[in-house]
Amino acid sequence: MKLKNLFKYLPAFVFCGFIFTFMVLWILLPKDTFSEQEKRELADFPELNGDTVLSGAFQKDLDSYLSDHTPARNFFVGLNADYELASGRNGSEGIYLGSDGFLFPKPSKETKQLDKNAEYISEFADDSDIPVYMTLIPSSGYVNSDKLPLVHEDYRDGEMIDNFSSKLSDSIVFIDVKDAFEKDTGGDLYYRTDHHWTAKGAYKCYALLGEKMGYAPLSEDCFTKESVDGFYGTSYSKSGLWFIQPDHVELWSNKDQSSGSVTVEIKDGSDKKSSDSYFFREQLKNDDKYPVYLDGNHSLVRITNTGASSDKKLIVVKDSYAHSIVPFLSQNYSEIIMADLRYYKKDISLLAEEEEADAILILYSLDNLSQDNNISYLF
Amino acid sequence: MVFSSLIFLFMFLPAVLALYYITPKRFRNLTLFIVDLVFYSWGEPMLVLLMLVSIFINYIAAILIGLYREKKILAKTVFITAVALDLGLLGFFKYAGFIGETLHFVLPFLNIPVLEVSLPIGISFYTFQTMSYTIDVYRNTVKVQKNFFTFGTYVSLFPQLIAGPIVRYQDVAKQLVERTETLEQFTEGVKLFLIGLAKKVLAANAMGNLWDSMLEAQSSGGAVGAWVGIIAYSFQIYFDFSGYSDMAIGLGKMFGFDFIKNFDYPYISKSITEFWRRWHISLGTWFREYVYIPLGGNRKGLPRQIFNLAVVWFLTGLWHGASWNFILWGLYFGVLLVIEKTFLLKLLKKAPAALAHIYSLILIVFGWVLFYFEDMGEMWAFISRMFGSDGFMMSSNVSALVVSYIPLLIASAIASTPLLSSLYHKISSKPVLYIADNVGCILSLLLCTASLVSSAYNPFLYYKF
Repeated sequence: MKLKNLFKYLPAFVFCGFIFTFMVLWILLPKDTFSEQEKRELADFPELNGDTVLSGAFQKDLDSYLSDHTPARNFFVGLNADYELASGRNGSEGIYLGSDGFLFPKPSKETKQLDKNAEYISEFADDSDIPVYMTLIPSSGYVNSDKLPLVHEDYRDGEMIDNFSSKLSDSIVFIDVKDAFEKDTGGDLYYRTDHHWTAKGAYKCYALLGEKMGYAPLSEDCFTKESVDGFYGTSYSKSGLWFIQPDHVELWSNKDQSSGSVTVEIKDGSDKKSSDSYFFREQLKNDDKYPVYLDGNHSLVRITNTGASSDKKLIVVKDSYAHSIVPFLSQNYSEIIMADLRYYKKDISLLAEEEEADAILILYSLDNLSQDNNISYLF
Repeated sequence: MVFSSLIFLFMFLPAVLALYYITPKRFRNLTLFIVDLVFYSWGEPMLVLLMLVSIFINYIAAILIGLYREKKILAKTVFITAVALDLGLLGFFKYAGFIGETLHFVLPFLNIPVLEVSLPIGISFYTFQTMSYTIDVYRNTVKVQKNFFTFGTYVSLFPQLIAGPIVRYQDVAKQLVERTETLEQFTEGVKLFLIGLAKKVLAANAMGNLWDSMLEAQSSGGAVGAWVGIIAYSFQIYFDFSGYSDMAIGLGKMFGFDFIKNFDYPYISKSITEFWRRWHISLGTWFREYVYIPLGGNRKGLPRQIFNLAVVWFLTGLWHGASWNFILWGLYFGVLLVIEKTFLLKLLKKAPAALAHIYSLILIVFGWVLFYFEDMGEMWAFISRMFGSDGFMMSSNVSALVVSYIPLLIASAIASTPLLSSLYHKISSKPVLYIADNVGCILSLLLCTASLVSSAYNPFLYYKF
């Protein structure tokens, strides 16, 4: 073939080369069973027999199997995210790219669920014999509003939290941290690549809760800080913007903590494990390092500290934001029982009675509480 | 199976291309027929039998008509039976539920049971194709096809099977029997396919997201939001449908077929009459050829012509879906066309071009409102919103979303005109042309694949339990 013709027909070769290579790689490449970035099991090869083919189930499942195992999946997901960003659609995957490499989940919508949860919590507190404290953590986008992209949906966390707390019964001590968070201009209360707050953010909240909850927070210089790099959070995985630089996680430990003073017992139904540290270092191997704090989400976790400043017992009803604040609270409560209503389905009032707890803290992020329909499990 | 899916692009298509080109020439139609059936039965394993029945009926009918051509009554009986069966199958599978519901509404005391029949994909398209063949055989304008596989290939040809264009038998009769696939045609096909794929995946899907968001925003979008939404839908439906046609025509070329053009920049029309010459051309051609002209067309006086138009546009609307809003949509255009024919077209020709464009676009876009809403209550609520029943301005959240789509809206508007195409054809330097071709192809391939792969990427935040 003449060179001129080769150029003329090149698109045909490019096209065929691409689809055939893709097909061959698709078939031959080894298949993962789990996606680290998506944190989910990938589909298995579907069952092939007469019934599944005639009903169309095989074809459908093959589709999801193949989609889950496409070659160069991360490359294409990243390319798509970059293209959407370049064509003006910042936030189209639910995550905004802000300044200084900050990623922000889009604001949560006002929901009826939030009002309902206020009712459940009020009713629970009215019946409780021990004090019930509560705080709501605003979202990263609200606190770091100066870093948001030019065009974005409104973060109305302030209004929503005020509105929520006004609906609570007087038997709850609601501690408002949002104003103090908003005034902090350091930009290091939240991770850049994750929706969670940093150890610094958690510490700030710990310091603010002390006055109403009746403990004297340790000062910041009582802690040694260990920093671990290479943290890629959930906002990062969702965004597909792979060019964002990784975060670091900080592990804050009390300088005076004697060895063997801390125990962490984790219970998920009949599964149990225990540790002598707040930090689960095997989680640092993963891209998402946030579960280093108390090993991530579990049904029930008991944290004891013989070196705590009081021998009080605290129950924390929470979402994952609590994992990084509980190590601080543990400096002031000799025993903390952390319950996650998404997995713990026995009622909390019973737990408080059995454990003879001294107080209850309900700690949620606004984003999670406005979606969570498990609050009715309080009682 | 749809073209804009990973499994089609990277499994079915390469496998079929390889299979087709290693098959000796004389068996290529058989190969195509078999892969067509696999393609169709991918999503509808049982309903492929219905298509085979339809193919069989028309195949036999045409042979009988050819055989008894001298005995007019017999030929006519066979012809009428075949057409009645075609329409009967289409009527049953597409319209049984609709007719039942309508009768139930008009004559509730009869207690007519409403059937729930699932609509076989592409039935409206392949029924029109088989009918065009049988009608043409009866009129003696095409030869009877005695080879079942050749005829079956014509009806079920996967490029145009599920969304057109509606290829008349007479247009491809020759290509079915003798066609030479060339590298030149194949390359043209690849280019057209990738243009169509980009229209569907990059333009239509994004505009669809915008339209969905505007529907979800409801009253907080106000009148401006409603108009932005319906404009986004207008782009979505155009890029979706014309993209699909481009892919079909492109795929056809890869297998040596030439199908007729189905869309010709409809949104640059200066009248509704012109719009329908540029929109879904193969459907318009079919109705003109097999309904309008046989009814007498414009040759029997104005009143009769208006009646003929009413019939054609009622049917055109009904063809698009088994719901009253489609009939309303069809008749809406029927009325507009009659008005244009009687006097407006002459005025439009004298009017400034800009005015004619605005007139046409507003009516077309408004037509899509009728087309979209099957529920009359929702339709009315949306129309009211377009005229300010929920205020005019968008809320700040809705504006933020719309602003993020402005670049794509502008790109869509440009892509709806022949501007890019005429720029491309002005390129006289060969190297520049080759670079444009290849860069375009690679971009379309990469970005479309990226978008398709991404849609299956679902990070799951709380993995445990």
